[in-house]
Amino acid sequence: MGAAYETIHFKAEACDGCNDCMTACAMAKTQTEEHLHSRIQIVPSGEGFELAICRQCGDPKCVLNCPAAALSKNAGSGVVDWDGSKCVNCLLCTVGCAYGGIAYDSIASHVIKCDMCEGAPACVQACTPGALKHITTARIYNEAGKLEDLFAPGLSGCQGCNTELIMRHALRRIGPDVVVATPPGCIPGMGSVGYNGLTGTKVPVFHPLLTNTASMLAGVRRQYKRAGRDVLAVALAGDGGTADVGFQSLSGAAERGEEILYICVDNEGYMNTGMQRSGCTPYGAWTSTTPVGERAHGKTQDAKNLPLLMVMHNCDFVATASTAFMEDLYDKLDRAIVAAKTGFAYLHIYSPCTTGWRFPSDQNVEVARKAVETNFVLLWEFNPADGLQFTHPVENARPIDEYLEVLGKYRHLDPDQVAHIERSLANNLARIRGFAAAEGTASAEAGRA
Amino acid sequence: MMQHAHYLIVGASHAALSALHAIRLHDAEGDVTLLTRDDSLPYSPTVLPYVVSGRSDPGRVFLRDEGYFSEHKVNYLRGAKVQKLNSGESAVELADGSKIGFDKLLLATGAAPMLPAIPGLAGLKFHVLRTLADAVSLREALPRIKRALVLGGGLIGMHAAENLAKGGVEVSVVEMQPHVLAGYFDAEASGMIEAVFAAKGVRLLLGTSVAAFTPNGEGCRAKLADGTEIDADLLLVATGVAPVTDFLDGSGVETERGVLVDEHMRTNVANIWAAGDVAQARGFYSSERIINGILPDAVDQGRIAGMAMAEDPGTHDYAGGVPLNTYSFFGQHAVSVGVHEGALEASGVEVKKQVDAAHNHYLKIVLKDRRLAGIFGVNAAFDPGIMWELILRGIDLGDEKLAFLRSPQDTARALMSKNWR
Amino acid sequence: MSAVLKPKSKLIVCDGNEAAAWAVSLANVDMVAVYPITPQSSLVEYLAKFIADGRLSSEIVDVEGEHSVLSVLQGACLAGARTYTASCGPGLAFMFEPYLRTPGLRLPLVMTIVTRDTLTPQSVWGGHQDAMSVREVGWVQMYCESVQEVLDTTIMAYRIAEHHDVMLPVNICHDGNYLSFGAARCELPDQGEVNEFLGEKDVNWHVALDPQRPMAVDPLTGGAGGPGPSTFVRYRKGQCSGMQNSLKVITEVHEDWGRRFGRHHAPLIESYRMDGADYAMVTIGSMTGAAKDAVDEARARGEKVGLLKVKTYRPFPAEAFATALSDVKAFGVVDRSVSFGWNCGPLFQDAITAMQYAPRRIPAMSFIGGLAGADLTVSHFERVIGRVKELARDGHAAETVWLNEKD
Repeated sequence: MGAAYETIHFKAEACDGCNDCMTACAMAKTQTEEHLHSRIQIVPSGEGFELAICRQCGDPKCVLNCPAAALSKNAGSGVVDWDGSKCVNCLLCTVGCAYGGIAYDSIASHVIKCDMCEGAPACVQACTPGALKHITTARIYNEAGKLEDLFAPGLSGCQGCNTELIMRHALRRIGPDVVVATPPGCIPGMGSVGYNGLTGTKVPVFHPLLTNTASMLAGVRRQYKRAGRDVLAVALAGDGGTADVGFQSLSGAAERGEEILYICVDNEGYMNTGMQRSGCTPYGAWTSTTPVGERAHGKTQDAKNLPLLMVMHNCDFVATASTAFMEDLYDKLDRAIVAAKTGFAYLHIYSPCTTGWRFPSDQNVEVARKAVETNFVLLWEFNPADGLQFTHPVENARPIDEYLEVLGKYRHLDPDQVAHIERSLANNLARIRGFAAAEGTASAEAGRA
Repeated sequence: MMQHAHYLIVGASHAALSALHAIRLHDAEGDVTLLTRDDSLPYSPTVLPYVVSGRSDPGRVFLRDEGYFSEHKVNYLRGAKVQKLNSGESAVELADGSKIGFDKLLLATGAAPMLPAIPGLAGLKFHVLRTLADAVSLREALPRIKRALVLGGGLIGMHAAENLAKGGVEVSVVEMQPHVLAGYFDAEASGMIEAVFAAKGVRLLLGTSVAAFTPNGEGCRAKLADGTEIDADLLLVATGVAPVTDFLDGSGVETERGVLVDEHMRTNVANIWAAGDVAQARGFYSSERIINGILPDAVDQGRIAGMAMAEDPGTHDYAGGVPLNTYSFFGQHAVSVGVHEGALEASGVEVKKQVDAAHNHYLKIVLKDRRLAGIFGVNAAFDPGIMWELILRGIDLGDEKLAFLRSPQDTARALMSKNWR
Repeated sequence: MSAVLKPKSKLIVCDGNEAAAWAVSLANVDMVAVYPITPQSSLVEYLAKFIADGRLSSEIVDVEGEHSVLSVLQGACLAGARTYTASCGPGLAFMFEPYLRTPGLRLPLVMTIVTRDTLTPQSVWGGHQDAMSVREVGWVQMYCESVQEVLDTTIMAYRIAEHHDVMLPVNICHDGNYLSFGAARCELPDQGEVNEFLGEKDVNWHVALDPQRPMAVDPLTGGAGGPGPSTFVRYRKGQCSGMQNSLKVITEVHEDWGRRFGRHHAPLIESYRMDGADYAMVTIGSMTGAAKDAVDEARARGEKVGLLKVKTYRPFPAEAFATALSDVKAFGVVDRSVSFGWNCGPLFQDAITAMQYAPRRIPAMSFIGGLAGADLTVSHFERVIGRVKELARDGHAAETVWLNEKD
């Protein structure tokens, strides 16, 4: 109990009914193309398609229904294993499954079910429209789930706060041998450094000034290095303290290659103090200092591309991340932690703000996902040797309206403003693509020379 | 000193194990004792015909191993037949006279074969299929016999008949009802099944009964109501089962045909629950309490009872028993979920039947107010689990009704995929 | 001051900036963070050179601005480092945000202010306006008169700052141009003896960023109601106590320095020829040398003139100050900076405030000179003496005198 497992995810709207997954499954399991043998079944549904497949339930009823001990939940892989040598073909398992995940194959004369192809599902590999996805995030939860949450329970973040998610995940992974800087903003606002003598963090934590996070950490790290101790210096900072008033110290520390893991939690403004505009606030967005009125309609400038600025500092590691793509986030976190032991590592994590952006608090991860799927947010990483690379390229981006329309801060946008945003996104995408295409090999070669 | 268990479970089959599973999901520590009258690890009565046929190795049918019980801190007591329940004292008395106290008790004693009152039967050597030992002894008898008589054309009888026939035995089945597997299939579907058996050389004597038995060497001679005489080297009595409740006499636990329980499987006694074949719980189609002695329902009831016993806040009400079954025979299969039109008030009922006798294909769908009430098939492809859920959820098929009638499997899968999300 | 060289000491000729760098080298500093600014730049260069030559084992962080200078040092100190930096004028203004915070965190940072007049007019020359502008922030401030005093005081500053009864940052102020670039004979004490004098460093026993002693540093404190305001008061009062305790600690440390190294600098105030003085001048910093010459000349003429030099300006040694001046008929205070809104020098303000401890009211007046690098010569102080004598005669409070106005 308690373990999480890999799953196959189905995005109904992306399925075009090509049935290649069924062919692939039948081939993998029976070396025939007979769809009857496929453990995954795509069925038409109105204009679109739906599917039946074993969900590899956590508490599988088919197993409890089996009178012959032929079915069992594999504690290691999470797969509901079927043992043909024990099966008596009674079909009681099919009564227990409300997903059509185990069904009778009348040609083979026994029940069949998905076995996840030992971790490399053939159906997913065959799915060109991207409707099927092999979700392997379970690894993270199994590994990170055992780690101690180094923040106290009951921090006073807003309901559904994405930033709290980021800080808890990040610090869990980083572990206790750390000094954490949380400059003024939502993070200490929710109690990371505590109030009146009580702390919200189980590791050394402090309030730097809004302006000097990177510098203070540089001093901490350098002194420990001098003393022969490997103490990671970590910043959990908002976009305002990073991009605006704290940028000088950030830039200096990055240029000097200070050994710091700087995590910028970007909620596109000063959300803690009442949603004022920052240099990271996107064009058109409502904030309390770029209000919407008769003459003004939100911010009139584009956001600065802070992570790209950090690339220009040639940091040892720079990446963007999103909580909607946790595996990607954890991969980057892992690399950032390593990089911060020898140089400056900068991780820019987009953090939709339910309060300041005006959307329902249960939609946080969904908003984060839409930001990526519309290319509003690009997920990439950089290091000097390999250059910049996309980690989750979105080729067929969803229309930007799908992102804008869920956020209250864009409710007032007129078509010209939407067109401006579209142009900015296109420019940004082209720019980052340029880096991704050009920079890698050249600098890798330079590195070798 | 009297042994004591916080959770005491009598029985070790599906309802008992499902309850145990549910208890441990919520309460990892509270001490649990599981009692079985058998000397083995737990097994399912449903597997016994397959042990007879040799399909199942009697050494590999166990539903849990020792490791499971030790890992989950369960005291598994074998050979522990409960003789008496003293609910006032919150204790059970075992056949050896020892007592075990409990805070919470689950009765999951299942059902035992009923023996018909036929003159001469008592003096005969005959077989029943209740325990693993019964199955093993029946299997051991096979090589020595040429002719077998199976009393009862229910699931156990038919499974046994098939397996005896496959072993080269000349088999006769005597069933009082006009068709085999009554209650699950209508005459037409049963007829198809019967035809398959007849083709395999099994003699089915339907709508009749044995008037008297007389011994005949190691075997017997049965005289039917119409005077027909059948000689057999082996007699298997499979005329149905009844809940095991005898030990409850005087306990105060209310019984009718089985132990009466509420929507959380609780008996009239506060700290005692019952689940599985022994329990008499509400039916799905009426609030009348029924015995729905089928394995998936035992699993369901066991889970609810276990959750209630562990005071799991997720405990939900029992939805009510839906008759359902699956039956495989000679490489073919029959599935029934729900009820036939005869069990429903006529208004709003639609029935669609699709029969292809040449290919032994049969499908019948019963709708009530555009909702699924029952679906029955012989060699027909549909997912009984999805159908059961459609019935329980009362899903209005709406615009999908025609598609469902045309193609129930795909349509139901699509409905599931949309509705379950 | 002793003319006899201690056996293990070395004699060099250097300016005040180099003397400060030598002191840092002798004080076993772990972390130096610097940003160059006139007239401090050569001090930074000496430090870099000492580190490059292996004479100073400190880490040096060449940050992107003064704001980060103090920020790096705060982080390092919280992790256990002994730290040093130097700045002045606009640099001090730019670092004001972390500067403001250092005493509250009770971090024993040591920082030289190579004093410079502040903008505007644009100026890169000496004057106390920068240091005086931060006098109320909570740093200990000591002003030096000579190159040797710069070296000795910088070393002593660590023992003062790190004293458990103090735990406050210390500014050693030496005058831009006059001390920063003026070369003089300077004794370098022996490293081993300095080590013995300073003892083991212990900078973050009270507040630390250390995974082995996890704590939250600087939680939000205050707000109406709850334990916040009283906690805040406790912190503030503690800070004040540390400041007042330092008067005693500064005195003890100077005495110990004198015993060990034979150089007896006045710790708080220096009384020069005050025996039977009817008139006194109060000076601060490098101007004191010329002022002493003027006193010597006046005494030679038979005038009863003395001088009081303020070395420790924060905390202000009010009682000692009042006692030293209690018998004069009048005194004049020479400031190298201005207190806007009072139309006088800031030291003058402190002086008249301190004089409430005196048994009677003594006429006093403010002189302002030496701004933006202007020289204060013996003749300027002769003017001061003359004006103070007039004041003693007529007893009237007088307008502030601007000494370089007509130079």
